[in-house]
Amino acid sequence: MLQVEGLTTRYGAITALHGVSLRVDDGEVVALVGPNGAGKTTLLNTVAGLLRPATGTIRLAGADVTGRDPASLVKSGLALVPERRRIFRDLTVEENLKLAGITASAGQRRTRLAEAKALFPVLDTKWHTAAGYLSGGEAQQLAVARALMSDPRLLLLDEPTLGLAPRLVDVIFELLATLRSQGRTILVVEQNARRALELADRGYVLRTGHLVADGPGGELAARADLFAAFVGLGG
Amino acid sequence: MTTLLQNIVDGLGRGSTYALLALGISLIFGVMHLVNFAHAELITVGAYVAYGLARADVNWWVLAVAIVASAVAASVLVERLAFRWVRNANPFTMLLTSFAIERLSHALWQVLVSPKKQSFRGPSWAFNTWTAAGVRFELMDLLTIAVTVAVLALTALVFTRTLFGIAVRGAAEDFDAARLMGVRANRVISGAFAYAGFLAGVAAVMILLRSPTAEPTLGADWLLKAVVAAVIGGLGSFSGAVIGGLALGLAEVFFRSYLPAGTPERLTDAFVFALIAVLFIVRPQGLFKVSTAERV
Amino acid sequence: MATDPLLVRLGRSTAATAVLAVVLFAGAQLYQATGGGARQLLVKELLINLVLVLGLQVFIGNTGVLSFGHLAFAQLAAYGTAIAAIPVARKARSLPDIPFGLGEVHLGPGAATVVGVLVALAFGALIGIAVARAGGLAATMITLAVLFVVDSSVKNWEQLTKGAGGLSSVPKLDGSAWLWLAVIGALLVAHGFAESRPGRFAIATREDEVAAPALGIGLFSARYGAWLVSMVLVGLAGALRVQVIGSTNPRQYTLDVAVLLLAMLVVGGMRTVSGAVVGTVLITAGTEVFRQLGDPERLDIDRFPDLFLGVALLAVMLARPGGLLGDTDLLGWLRRRTHRPAPPTERIVPPRQAELTAEGVGVRFGGFVALDGARVRVRPGEVVGIIGPNGAGKTTFFNVLTGQVTASSGAVHLGSRELTGASPAQVARAGVGRTFQNLRLFGNLPVRENVAVAALVTGRHRRGEPPVDIGALLHAAGLAEVADRPARTLDYGNQRRLELARAAALSPEFLLLDEPTSGMSDDEGQAMVDQVRAMAAMVGAGVLVIDHDLAFITRISDHVVALAEGAIIAEGTPEQVRADPAVAAAYLGTSG
Repeated sequence: MLQVEGLTTRYGAITALHGVSLRVDDGEVVALVGPNGAGKTTLLNTVAGLLRPATGTIRLAGADVTGRDPASLVKSGLALVPERRRIFRDLTVEENLKLAGITASAGQRRTRLAEAKALFPVLDTKWHTAAGYLSGGEAQQLAVARALMSDPRLLLLDEPTLGLAPRLVDVIFELLATLRSQGRTILVVEQNARRALELADRGYVLRTGHLVADGPGGELAARADLFAAFVGLGG
Repeated sequence: MTTLLQNIVDGLGRGSTYALLALGISLIFGVMHLVNFAHAELITVGAYVAYGLARADVNWWVLAVAIVASAVAASVLVERLAFRWVRNANPFTMLLTSFAIERLSHALWQVLVSPKKQSFRGPSWAFNTWTAAGVRFELMDLLTIAVTVAVLALTALVFTRTLFGIAVRGAAEDFDAARLMGVRANRVISGAFAYAGFLAGVAAVMILLRSPTAEPTLGADWLLKAVVAAVIGGLGSFSGAVIGGLALGLAEVFFRSYLPAGTPERLTDAFVFALIAVLFIVRPQGLFKVSTAERV
Repeated sequence: MATDPLLVRLGRSTAATAVLAVVLFAGAQLYQATGGGARQLLVKELLINLVLVLGLQVFIGNTGVLSFGHLAFAQLAAYGTAIAAIPVARKARSLPDIPFGLGEVHLGPGAATVVGVLVALAFGALIGIAVARAGGLAATMITLAVLFVVDSSVKNWEQLTKGAGGLSSVPKLDGSAWLWLAVIGALLVAHGFAESRPGRFAIATREDEVAAPALGIGLFSARYGAWLVSMVLVGLAGALRVQVIGSTNPRQYTLDVAVLLLAMLVVGGMRTVSGAVVGTVLITAGTEVFRQLGDPERLDIDRFPDLFLGVALLAVMLARPGGLLGDTDLLGWLRRRTHRPAPPTERIVPPRQAELTAEGVGVRFGGFVALDGARVRVRPGEVVGIIGPNGAGKTTFFNVLTGQVTASSGAVHLGSRELTGASPAQVARAGVGRTFQNLRLFGNLPVRENVAVAALVTGRHRRGEPPVDIGALLHAAGLAEVADRPARTLDYGNQRRLELARAAALSPEFLLLDEPTSGMSDDEGQAMVDQVRAMAAMVGAGVLVIDHDLAFITRISDHVVALAEGAIIAEGTPEQVRADPAVAAAYLGTSG
C-alpha cells in the first residue's frame, strides 16, 4: 500500500529524516516508534504532503505521490490524524465530520456520517456541540472519526494517546483494535511503544532521523535491547 | 423617543454597510492573516462599472447585479495576481502589498477614466422617506438594513450549511488541518476572496444607490471604518465583524447627536477614533475574540 | 560590533553619515546646476522626506513594528512651530479666537523649531507607551487610529488651526542650509542609534520577540526608546517643513502621505539607514519623473506618481520584501572594517555561590495537570539533566524556570532571590541564560552580533564583572570562521552552537538548555557534550539541561531527574536513573 524509499526531509537547516525507507502492506497495522525528536511526526507529515521531501520517493498503492499536496493525497485514499489532534474547535462535531468528507460525494458523506455515529456513540451525543468543548478522549475520537470520513485506504495516526488519561488510552487502543479487525491499513506513531508494537503486525524504530530496528511487532516489543535502541545507549 | 428611534435606524443603516465590508476583511484575515487595505477598492470597481453602464441607460436592477459581479471578479483576480505570492510572508509584507494595490487602483482609475468625480443618475426613489407613528425614516436606511439582514442571513446559512462555508471556517482556524481533510488551499482562499467580494459588492450597491458617483478615492473613506469595525470585532471573528460594524455605525450617529451643539460634525470622527485607540490599548485582540482553552 | 568602544562606534556613525551626506550633497548640486528653480524645491522636498523617513527607520526599521502614526506627530510639530512662529499681528487677524494666550507668543525660527520638536515628543511620549506595550498588529492599529484622531482634531479645532485651510504666514527659512544640517543630524542620530546599546536591543526585539527577553532585553523599553528617538526626528521634520513652505495644512499629513513615506522606507530596505536613504531618493525622484508625465490642465498630476508608487511598492513586496538593499549597509561595512578583536584576556570568573532551586512546582492548564510537585536543585558549576518521554512535562518545567509560564504552585529561587513569577527578562537579568529547542537566533544579524548583544546586556546589569571575551566564546563554539555571516545562513549544528554561545555571553550563573541535541545525529550530540562543558566552564555557569536523549544526558550530567506525566519518577546519578525500571517503562509504555 505504502512504499517509502530513501526519504530525506529538511526544515531549513535541520535534516529531520536521513534516507528513511519503510513499507506498509495491504491490511497491515504498522507501528513507528522512537524517542521524542526522532523524526516520526516529520515522516508522517511528509507522507501526508504537508512537508516536501528533499530526496526520496513515496508510493501509494503503486503510484508515485512524492510532493503531492495533502488535498490530492486525501483523494488518493490517504488520511492523517495529526499530532495533538487539531480538531476544528469552533466547528461542531457534525461540521468537523462534514468538512472531513469534503472529497466524498454527498451520498457517501451521509452514509459515513451515519457510520461515524454508530462507531463513536459518544460523538453522537455531542453532535451539535462545538468541538472545543469536547474532553481529550472525545476530541481524539473525533480526530479519528474525521480521518475515516474519506474512507482512506491508508490511515496514518500520529500520537493518538498523547496527553490522555490511562483509561482513555485504553479506549483509543480498543479503537485501534476495532479498526484493525475491520481490515484497515494503518501506520501509527505512538509513544506507548511496547503496547503499540504488540498490537501491530510489524514495527519500525526511528532514532535521530534513522531507522535503527524493524521486525514483527511482538518480537520488537519483547526485545531486551529495545530501550537501549530507543535512547541511544545501544552499541 | 422618536429621535432615539431615528438615531437607531440611522446608525444601523450606516453600520450595516460597515458590517458587510468588515465581514469581508475578517474573512480574508481568517484564511490568510492579511489585513486587506485594498478591500474597499472593490466599491470603486463597482462604482466605475455602474458609471459605465449607467451611461448606456441600463436599469438599476441590472446595475446592481453588475456591481456585485464586478466586485467578485476583481476580488478573485487581485488574490490570484498579487496576494497569492505573499501568502506565507510576514504580516508586514502582506499589509504593504495591500497598500500597493490600493494605490494602483487609485492610479488606474485616474489614468483610465479621470481623476474627477463622475456622477450618474441614481434611482428616483433613493431619497424618499416613510413616516410611521410620527417617526420619519429614510427609505434607503430601511432598504440597507433589510438587504443587510438578508445577506447576513444568507451568509450564516452559507457558513453553517454548505461545505464551502464550513471549509472556510475550518481553514480560518487551522489551515494545515483543513488541507489534511482534503480542502484545497487555493480553492478555499479564492472562495473566501470571492465571498468577500460579494459582500463588498452588496455594500457598494447600497452606497451607490445613495450617492451615484464614481471617483478614484471612493473606497478610501469606507476602508478605514471597515477595518476599524473588523478590528473591534476581533480580526477573524465573523460575528464580531458584524457586531463591530453595527456598533461603529451606532456610535457615530449617537456621538453626532449627543455632542454639545456647535461641535463640528467631523469632530465625531475624532471621538470615534480616539475611542478606538483606547479600545486597542485595553483589548488589542478586539472585543469579541474569545478562545476556548484546550481541555484534555 | 556593538561592544566596540564608544569612540569607535561614534567614529563609524560619523564616517557613514559623512559619506552619505557628501554623496547626497554632490548629487543635489549636480541636479540643481543642470536645471531651473523648480529643482531647488524638489531638493528641499527630498531633504524633508529624508528626515521623516530616517525618523521612521529608527522606529520601524529597528523594532519591526509598522507605524502609520509618525506623520501625525510631524503634523503636531508643524502646527506647534507655526503657532509659535507666526507674528502676533498676523495671528490676531487669522486666529482671533486662539486659546491659552497663544496669540501673544512669537518666537524666532530656532526656538519655534524647538517648540515643534517638544510638542511631538510630548504627545509621542504618551502614545508611545501604548504602542510599545502592544507591539505587532495591535500597535499598527493604534498608530492608524492616532493618525486619524490628530487629523480630525486639526481639521476641527479651528480656533487653533484654522481647520482644513491650514495656517499660513509662517516666516520662511531662506536657503537650504538648515535642511542640510537637519539631514546630517538625522543621519547621525539614525546611525548612532543603530550603533548604540538601546539600538542593538531594539534590533534584537525585531529579530526575535521571544529570544530578546530571554537575554534580559525588555520588549517595552527597547521599543519605547526607539519610539522616542524617532519622535525627535519626525518632530524636527514637521517643524522645518512648515518653515520651508511657510504654511501648513492637513493635506500634507494624510494616510496617503504616510503610505508614501513607508514606501520610501521599505523600497530601499528598512533595516538599514543606507536602505532608507536609497529608498527615499528613488521614490522622491521617481514620483517627480512620473509627475511630469501628467497634464496640469486636467488637475491629474498625481495619477502617474501613484501608478509608479503602486508598481514600485508591489514589485518590491513580491520580489524582495527586505528591500532593494536588504541588509547591505554602509555602516555594517564599516563595522566589519573597523572591528579589531580585543586581545584575549585571562578572565577570572567570579566565584559563584548561589544555587538554583525549584520546589513543589505545579502547573495546571484548565483541568489538565501538566506538572505536579516537580523539584530540582542545581549547585554552582554542576550539570543537572532532566529526562522524560514526550509529554512528560519537561518543557513545562523548563518554561516555569525561565519565566515563560507562571506556576500554579511552588517556588523558584536563585540563591536567596525569588524568581517565582518573574518575567523572562527578569530571569535572564538575574543570571539565568537559556537556549531554545526550536532555534531562536537573530537571523539577519551577523554571528558575532548575536553574541555581542547578549554581552551588552551583561555589561549593563553587572558592572562589576570583567567583560565576556566574545572572541574566545566564538572560538570555543567553533564559529570564529563564520563570525561575519548572517546567523540564518549557518548550518544547523553551527546554529545550535551559536545559541549556546549567545546564552553563555550573558555570563549567567546558570545555563538552561532546552533539548540541545534535538535534530542532531548521535555523533554531533556527543560533540555537544564537550562544547557545553567548555562554555559553561568559561563563564563559570552551572547547567540545567533537558533532553530526551539518555545517552547525551548520561554523559553530560552529574545528576539526573526523570519526569513522566508531570511527576518525578526517578532521581540520582545517571547510572542509577538509567537502570531504574520506571524510566524504561515511561519511555516505552507498558504492555496493555
